Amino acid sequence: MSTSWHVSAHVVIDPLPAGWRDRLAERLGQRPRRIGPWAELALYGARCCLDAAEEAALPAGTTLRVGSRLAPMAAARAIAEQSRNGLPMPFAFMQSQPSQMLAALSQHLVWQGDARFALCQDAHAALQLAQQDADAPRGLLVGWIEEDRRTEWWRLRA
Amino acid sequence: MNEVYLAGRGLASALGPDLACALVALGQGGVAPTRFEVAGGFAWPYYAMADEEADWMARACRIAQRVAAESGALAGPRTGPLFLCSSSLDMGALEDHSLFDGSDPNFPALVAGWLDWRGPVFAISTACTSGLNAVLSARSLIRNGHADHALVLGLELRNRVTVGGFGGMQLLSATRSLPFGEARSGLVLGEAVAALHLSSRPARWRVAGGANVVDGQDPAGPVPGAVTAMCRQALADSGVAASDIALIKPQAAGSPSGDAIEAQALREVFEPLPALVSLKAAIGHTLGASGAAELALLTACLESGVWPRVDYPLDAALNAPLAEQAPQRARHVMASILGFGGGHTAVVLEDCDA
Repeated sequence: MSTSWHVSAHVVIDPLPAGWRDRLAERLGQRPRRIGPWAELALYGARCCLDAAEEAALPAGTTLRVGSRLAPMAAARAIAEQSRNGLPMPFAFMQSQPSQMLAALSQHLVWQGDARFALCQDAHAALQLAQQDADAPRGLLVGWIEEDRRTEWWRLRA
Repeated sequence: MNEVYLAGRGLASALGPDLACALVALGQGGVAPTRFEVAGGFAWPYYAMADEEADWMARACRIAQRVAAESGALAGPRTGPLFLCSSSLDMGALEDHSLFDGSDPNFPALVAGWLDWRGPVFAISTACTSGLNAVLSARSLIRNGHADHALVLGLELRNRVTVGGFGGMQLLSATRSLPFGEARSGLVLGEAVAALHLSSRPARWRVAGGANVVDGQDPAGPVPGAVTAMCRQALADSGVAASDIALIKPQAAGSPSGDAIEAQALREVFEPLPALVSLKAAIGHTLGASGAAELALLTACLESGVWPRVDYPLDAALNAPLAEQAPQRARHVMASILGFGGGHTAVVLEDCDA
């Protein structure tokens, strides 16, 4: 069964504006804690998309999906290097885990629900998977992250 | 809508290179964890596979091919979606050799190449819940007619970063894995590669439904309201009542606070509690692979009657005893994983032969 979706908001942030992390902190009223720039980029894109959709928080029951071609590579590089250098407890371990981005989205979008992150080389395939996964009556927030470069988000409703 | 079935499965773990070996080892009381050294003299208990090959990538390739073949998925067309589930991906290779410079480290595509898999490739990365989330995504595609088969491949192999990371957060036990145990003191990690071959063709185990609930209030542990929401949503999605569930395989990772939160939340939804079983004292917590690994082992245990021994005192305060033998009849079984990043995921299986 295929659901017909309509786009209630679509934001493309490319290139990233100067000072985008400061803008995010200002919009949230606080600087996000314990997450790295990769997860902050997801948070920035999601927040901009919800603002474009005129939604203060993500409504309960909305499905959240995030995709990327790569995991948080800056953090992965850092912890791999720390491990090679004999550091027993890598400092950026939390930031290397994509799941922490989902926790941050939940926290800052004031939302509990079905969220998933997938690595995929094909953004279109990731978007299709997100649409298949979504609980149609409740809508979908889906985002794509390219670390240090761009992010794109859609707010979809059935 | 199509129904979704478990057409085949494979597992390599500390219990052995395949499921047959795992059942033999489990029937003989299981295996003890070894010690995994990270750096600086730190070492932690760890459920390692008895496979000493030093080249991480060659080892991963060989094990993934063998486990996928065991599931039967490689005997078919290999054109459905492949879901790789892992918390650490190829970190074991990256920490040994810097592969970043000038390359595109696309590990999921590399794994697909190992299996000569020609369908779309997704790597679900939601930490410990990755495997069960992959099952739910695969189910969506098959149910909606976008695929007639899928392979869920959980892969979590030795690396110092993950063990050191969990150790640094003081989440690991220095002794052993004691799910729901009186003396539980933390997680014991393990490595595993598991394959679940899902198909629209009827088989013994039907994937009846499930639910995934993320709650960021605690990014490193379970949230009580999210556990109950997960259970209730999974039951509703599966079209069954709490009283229909004959067996639950909870997360039960041996965490002092996590186990207590989970047991209490389960009692809120299931009263009285059905039989409970934990597999983490048998294979360790295999993180991103755990959902697939524990489903593979759980269904094999239920079919064979081989059951994990509970050779330690359980925490009476939890009021959540682990079953000492397989239930006589378990038509509906719930398996859940609670994870890092606020993930709470459950899948309900129906034994069509029960």
